[in-house]
Amino acid sequence: MPNKFHNLLFGSIWIALALCLNPVSAQAESRGYVIGWLATASYYTGDVKMGCPDGRNGGVVEMHARELEAIGFDKKEAVELQRKQRDTDAIVPAYRDKVYNRARVNGKEGSVFTYPDFTPDPNVELYSGKYAYGFDLTGTASPSKFEDPETHAPVDNQLWRAMGCINQYRTFPPQKPMLEDTSWDVFVDNAPAWTIQITGDDLSKDGKVTVTFGRATQHLLRDATSGTLRDATYIVDPASKTHEVLEGEIKGGVLTIKPQHIYLEGELPFYMDIELENGHMRINRQSDGKLIGYMGGFTDWKRYAYMSIARPFQDAAAIEGYHALKKMADADPDPSTGQNRKISATFRWEAVPAYLADGNGNIIAAPDDLVQPQTVANNSSR
Amino acid sequence: MNSMRLLSARHATYLAIGIALIGAAISVRALAADTDVSADKPTSMRISSSQYRRTISDIFGSSIVITARFESETRENGLLAIGALNNSVSEDGFERYDEIAKDVAAQVIDKNHRNILIPCKPKSATASDDVCAGKFLSTTGRLLYRRPLKKEEIQTLVGVSKDTADKKKDFYAGISTSLVDLLISPDFLFRYRTLEPDPAHPGRTRLDGYSKATILSSFLWNSNPDDLLLKAAESGSLQTDKGLAKQVDRMITSPEIASGVRAFFSDMLGLDQFDILSKDAKFFPRFTPDAKRDAPEQTLRTIVDHVVNRQGDYRDLFTTRRTFLTRALAALYGVPLVDATDNARPMRWLPYTYPDGDPRAGILSQASFVALYSGAGRTSPTVRGKNFRLNILCQVVPPPPPNIDFSLIQDISNPKFKTVRDRLTAHRTNPTCAGCHRLMDPVGLAFENFDSSGGFRTTENGAPIDTSGEWNGVKFSGPVELTKALHDDPAVTACVARKVFAFASGTMPPTNTAPWKDVQAKFASSNYNFLRLMREIAVSDLLYAVPETRLSALERK
Repeated sequence: MPNKFHNLLFGSIWIALALCLNPVSAQAESRGYVIGWLATASYYTGDVKMGCPDGRNGGVVEMHARELEAIGFDKKEAVELQRKQRDTDAIVPAYRDKVYNRARVNGKEGSVFTYPDFTPDPNVELYSGKYAYGFDLTGTASPSKFEDPETHAPVDNQLWRAMGCINQYRTFPPQKPMLEDTSWDVFVDNAPAWTIQITGDDLSKDGKVTVTFGRATQHLLRDATSGTLRDATYIVDPASKTHEVLEGEIKGGVLTIKPQHIYLEGELPFYMDIELENGHMRINRQSDGKLIGYMGGFTDWKRYAYMSIARPFQDAAAIEGYHALKKMADADPDPSTGQNRKISATFRWEAVPAYLADGNGNIIAAPDDLVQPQTVANNSSR
Repeated sequence: MNSMRLLSARHATYLAIGIALIGAAISVRALAADTDVSADKPTSMRISSSQYRRTISDIFGSSIVITARFESETRENGLLAIGALNNSVSEDGFERYDEIAKDVAAQVIDKNHRNILIPCKPKSATASDDVCAGKFLSTTGRLLYRRPLKKEEIQTLVGVSKDTADKKKDFYAGISTSLVDLLISPDFLFRYRTLEPDPAHPGRTRLDGYSKATILSSFLWNSNPDDLLLKAAESGSLQTDKGLAKQVDRMITSPEIASGVRAFFSDMLGLDQFDILSKDAKFFPRFTPDAKRDAPEQTLRTIVDHVVNRQGDYRDLFTTRRTFLTRALAALYGVPLVDATDNARPMRWLPYTYPDGDPRAGILSQASFVALYSGAGRTSPTVRGKNFRLNILCQVVPPPPPNIDFSLIQDISNPKFKTVRDRLTAHRTNPTCAGCHRLMDPVGLAFENFDSSGGFRTTENGAPIDTSGEWNGVKFSGPVELTKALHDDPAVTACVARKVFAFASGTMPPTNTAPWKDVQAKFASSNYNFLRLMREIAVSDLLYAVPETRLSALERK
């Protein structure tokens, strides 16, 4: 590892490559990245009881058994259907129909995915732990706030309170929550990549910077491990809906932004978009040049939930999550119903160095540092 | 023998015939060798897998796809073309030929192709038609066998076609069966050299026109002779200097010359070995399947652009900053490459010029060399240096003696020897190793800035990499300076000339003869124009020389 990279802190490791970047001014330097990982910011240490002392949510089997009981099956029948499901490792039609059509619309059976509001609330256990990633979105003290495990600041993240006791969300990077994990793999091969350009006078020092989120005209390229290929070149789509220019500052090695609205256009089967009101962000550079970012704000809970409820056969937790999010929504009350339409949330992302070009083919940002193998393997012949 | 049972009885018979024919070819060689060691000039060469593919594409069109793999080829003295002299076909190899032939034949007769590729309409699609079958088989057979078919050969093929067509009530099934027979015949799979009495030198022999046409097409186009070349063979004009030169010039000015150039350099640089190349993805994640696929193609495109399109000096191949990249390769090398097409898929090849001062220049800085001649997890200056000498300078470095202790080289955790230069320097203190390593290591160490995958680096185990060295008394600081020093080394141009001749003939040239010195002189006077070198070899009598004892050997048989 070169000495100049010994410090993991963001601001101390930007290297000043003499690059002619257009249209960036001669004094400024500009680094390019593409997002290669994005998911709900989960906080899980591996302690199964952590934040969920009742442990009553269980896994898929337990959730389905409760759902069956909720629509009139006795416990024995529910267990038998579960057994069939487990033993055949496939969807049992009778079981599927009963579970997935347990919504009741004017007394008639309906799909839970189409009519989540007409499906009884499974009332899952909510996360009651101390920690969650996030940002202080309100600036006011509240018992509902968590403590961020990195900054130790009080933070708002009711999305994590809603989802944090659902098994599929109890993961830690590089594992994503299950639905996000599977849909991301489809997304990256079929949707344009998200780009990040960071520009400042001297990125090796604390100071003001500009962080620009955009979208490439190309899909993400994978590397030989199926991760994200570093140092590839992407053209930033000049006509994308995703074009956020954020005022940022590197301070003490951490890049944060001035809160503002953030919008990233997405695509199904991943999130159709990620929109944050009062968006916050902090970014840390890793020793290998990658960035890890957290971005939080208030997001539309229904649009978040849509990713899971739009998926028939996604198994349990779609309705559980839907109702939990609905209950935990903490901002933007509907004037007529009083139901909050937004929920405090935080996403985690990783970005790898990349070349970025404008629509005319001019390179506007270069990789932070070109990869240099730091070690060598010892498994090859002479 | 299980595979034999998979073949039809007729094909099994054909296999036996094929092996017998190959054996006959070899026996002719052995007979000649009995007479005179200098006459041990092989009479047949197995066509390479790339020649097979190219020939099928040329005859039937590029929409006929061969997806299967051929039996591996044998590299001798640095070239597959030399190994092809001694290549017979194993049972497994023949079975692969048989499967590929069936696949090709099935495509030729399918409804998408039959009306285009079969030059006549049968009277009925559900019955045999000897006239139409004969027309197709004689026309196609001539292109596949590189000579007109004999009357009895056509009759046999038409008979086979008729039997199948009548039995299956399908004219095209009959065509398919006979086409398979053509494709698995030794007359297609091997390039024979046929001798005939030389009228200009009574009592001596010469190659017949078809053999010369076959050598030319294989050498210059990596394919079978086209109709014009076969006509030149038929008319006898290929046996005249003027007629030969006319065909050579026609072929060299054809776009097809790029195929011959690609085939030669692919062989010379050992690019076929990419098929079995792998890297540790954990250490080299940018060496993606796309990058691996594109690396040899990058080099071939660089070469074709330089020696064919620009007709540049061969020596500049080692210093040129012009190349072609895909996005995958650009990421591997850490350089920007903007592909403005929508979504940039499939990846396109785009021209790229390394800026002055960039550590990459010339084909030896490309992954096709530095990655190919490295291990899965780390570089080997020794292997790079050995192959540099073999491929570029025609210098063979002997294999290491047995019972050598490599532990010092392989111990990368020794804090005393952080870089491979340190380890090799220590290894060379063993006098048994020092001799050869002094030949291989200095050149290989010049490329140490390129890691095992072809990516750029400046340190190894935290220690700075030293790429300096000396070549023929000229000190260099790294690969760019080394290749500049190479530029004027006469061994570089002498070697490529020898390799081109060996690629065309299967044997090394008689370097101490006046005709060969003339070839080299013309190469030099053309400012080392590679196409000129190909031409001079193609029109040289050396390429078609026949041992004088050959006829007497045949007569004795």
